[in-house]
Amino acid sequence: MRGNEELIQRLALKRRRQLGSMSEEAYAELELAVREDPMRFVDDDEDEAFRLVVQALAQIDERQHDDDLLDDAQYLEERTRRLGALGNACAHALELDENCVDAALLLTLSKDLSPNMALEALLELERNVNTREGAVEPSVAGDAWTNVFERPRLRLSDSIARLCLCTARYRVARDRCVDMLAKAPLDVLGARLTCVLAMARLEDEDGFHWLEARESHRGNAWFHLGRALLMYKLGRMPAARRAIRGFDRLCVGGAYALLQPVFVDLYLPDRPAFEPQTFTESVLAVHEADPIISDVPDFAAWTCDQPGFLASAQDYARRNGMGWREWEQ
Amino acid sequence: MAFDPQREDYQRLGLRFAQTLDGTDAASATHSFASFGRRFAHDRDSLPQSDADRAFHLVAMATKLIDYQLPFADDETAKELIASGHRLLDEALVLDPHCYDAIRMKIAAQAPTFEEFLGFLRDQADEVRAHCERQQQAQATGIDSERSRLRADLAMRPYLRWLSTQAEQALICGRNREALALALECLRIDPHDVADARFSVALAYAKLEDEAGLDSFVDRLQQHGSMRPANDAWTLLSRLAMRFKALDTEGAQDWVSELIRTYPHAAEALIRQTELPVGIFARISTVPYSEDELIVAISEATILLQEGVDPMERGALGTWLATEVARQQPQAMLAIMSEQQRQQNGRRA
Repeated sequence: MRGNEELIQRLALKRRRQLGSMSEEAYAELELAVREDPMRFVDDDEDEAFRLVVQALAQIDERQHDDDLLDDAQYLEERTRRLGALGNACAHALELDENCVDAALLLTLSKDLSPNMALEALLELERNVNTREGAVEPSVAGDAWTNVFERPRLRLSDSIARLCLCTARYRVARDRCVDMLAKAPLDVLGARLTCVLAMARLEDEDGFHWLEARESHRGNAWFHLGRALLMYKLGRMPAARRAIRGFDRLCVGGAYALLQPVFVDLYLPDRPAFEPQTFTESVLAVHEADPIISDVPDFAAWTCDQPGFLASAQDYARRNGMGWREWEQ
Repeated sequence: MAFDPQREDYQRLGLRFAQTLDGTDAASATHSFASFGRRFAHDRDSLPQSDADRAFHLVAMATKLIDYQLPFADDETAKELIASGHRLLDEALVLDPHCYDAIRMKIAAQAPTFEEFLGFLRDQADEVRAHCERQQQAQATGIDSERSRLRADLAMRPYLRWLSTQAEQALICGRNREALALALECLRIDPHDVADARFSVALAYAKLEDEAGLDSFVDRLQQHGSMRPANDAWTLLSRLAMRFKALDTEGAQDWVSELIRTYPHAAEALIRQTELPVGIFARISTVPYSEDELIVAISEATILLQEGVDPMERGALGTWLATEVARQQPQAMLAIMSEQQRQQNGRRA
């Protein structure tokens, strides 16, 4: 979540609303001023609540840089402390503005509940928000994301969709993502990535093709892996082989990520930002697909039987000085 | 209904014996048939039989050892049971190289992965089908229509078992559409569904989260009239899973209550969610609406229960179900806990 950027936009837009009509140039000036010193533009509890959330998230990001130096026990301790601090900040934000959706969302996530319980809590949150504000509507520009005040609710929906996926509610996950894509077609949050995995698991070939076409067939790690799983499940083995080869070739460290589990922590609240065609992309895609891969018990062993796949994974480990645990078939 | 190898063995020899009586007068036929039961039990070799009949008898014996005794055996006995079972299957194959039950059971025990077993079944399916159809045609010439119907029916059984195993295996492998197509094909060949393939159909629809599909399937089945109502544990668990997946907690709770009403001691079985080894002859035969039937169904529904991320590592639905049942029936949870306590004390003593 690019919290600071959103905070600046929110503050500038609110100020413009107060000042009345304004030329584009004047608005650009205003935005610059807000960027310079956002605090000067924080007018009310709603702004302050959002600012607190953004600040708490920034602190988490900063602290993460030293995680590699910690051993497991220290890491767990640090993680608990960090989530606790985030929870406190969100609780404080909610005291200022009980309708701050991001604070409520992150407060729930910071409790590190089981996915099923987190999902229940977020669904209730969403029901309350919808009762208060009505359903999310696409903005005049055709994409709800362009309205910065709608973004918290899109983030909430995105979290719910991912929790649906990881608690094995694939149809609901898919339908929600399709709905999000209609309301926010720019899909900054990546609902299509959750969607593509849900469609693979449901063996929904038509849906999968629709999504691929929507993406103009420029897939990323989620699409390549989703396609390999879908084709495998449908028994189209030549297509599955091509897809897993594509995943290996086009996704950096993809084979390694698939065969050697890499720890991925909670998303707070949305999917961490990643550069296209990086190892991070591959790791996140495999992490999200993990329950679906496990549901196809011999899939991972099958990838090892594909010429070059295992070697590619081991090679990636060697070139990047990463550990390799023997893979038991 | 399920496949009962002992009963099938009896039917095979009974049919052959009856054939030998054709043409004799009614009184002596009745007299001879009266002795059949005793001879079947005690002097089997004195009855007319083919090598295929003898091979099937060995399959029935192997099934008894591997599917029905092995799960309750200690380690030492287990090894003996497996070895004896395989000897019987090998002998069966010497007598009848086309004994596809024995072939399938041997591969089931030997295939290193689920996928390889499924691949083997898939590759041989046409051959098995052709063989069984030839047998069926050869049998279809009798005078007595009821007997010839049974003979034709028995001739197709190895293929039905092959196909229904293939469907179950496809489900385990996560190939749900393939599983659905196979189970539906089973039902097409045998509308009376001796294989209980409709249970696999229910699980496959649940995996695909296709409630409308299951609804119309059940409607079609009920029109037949001869089938058990669709309140078997497989269908109930599938419906429960689909309501849970649709985020309808109350709906899922209703199906939990329905399971508890339908099956004795359901609460404990639903909390334990024991995973059993799959029967290698066919699904373990149990009494309808018995606790055993529920346990077998829960074990097969593992593919639904254990899916998803869950800190208890029982799957999202598995954990929810155990918690929900304990809420509805706290005494069942207490019974399990005190039993675990007893076992721990026993180990310490």
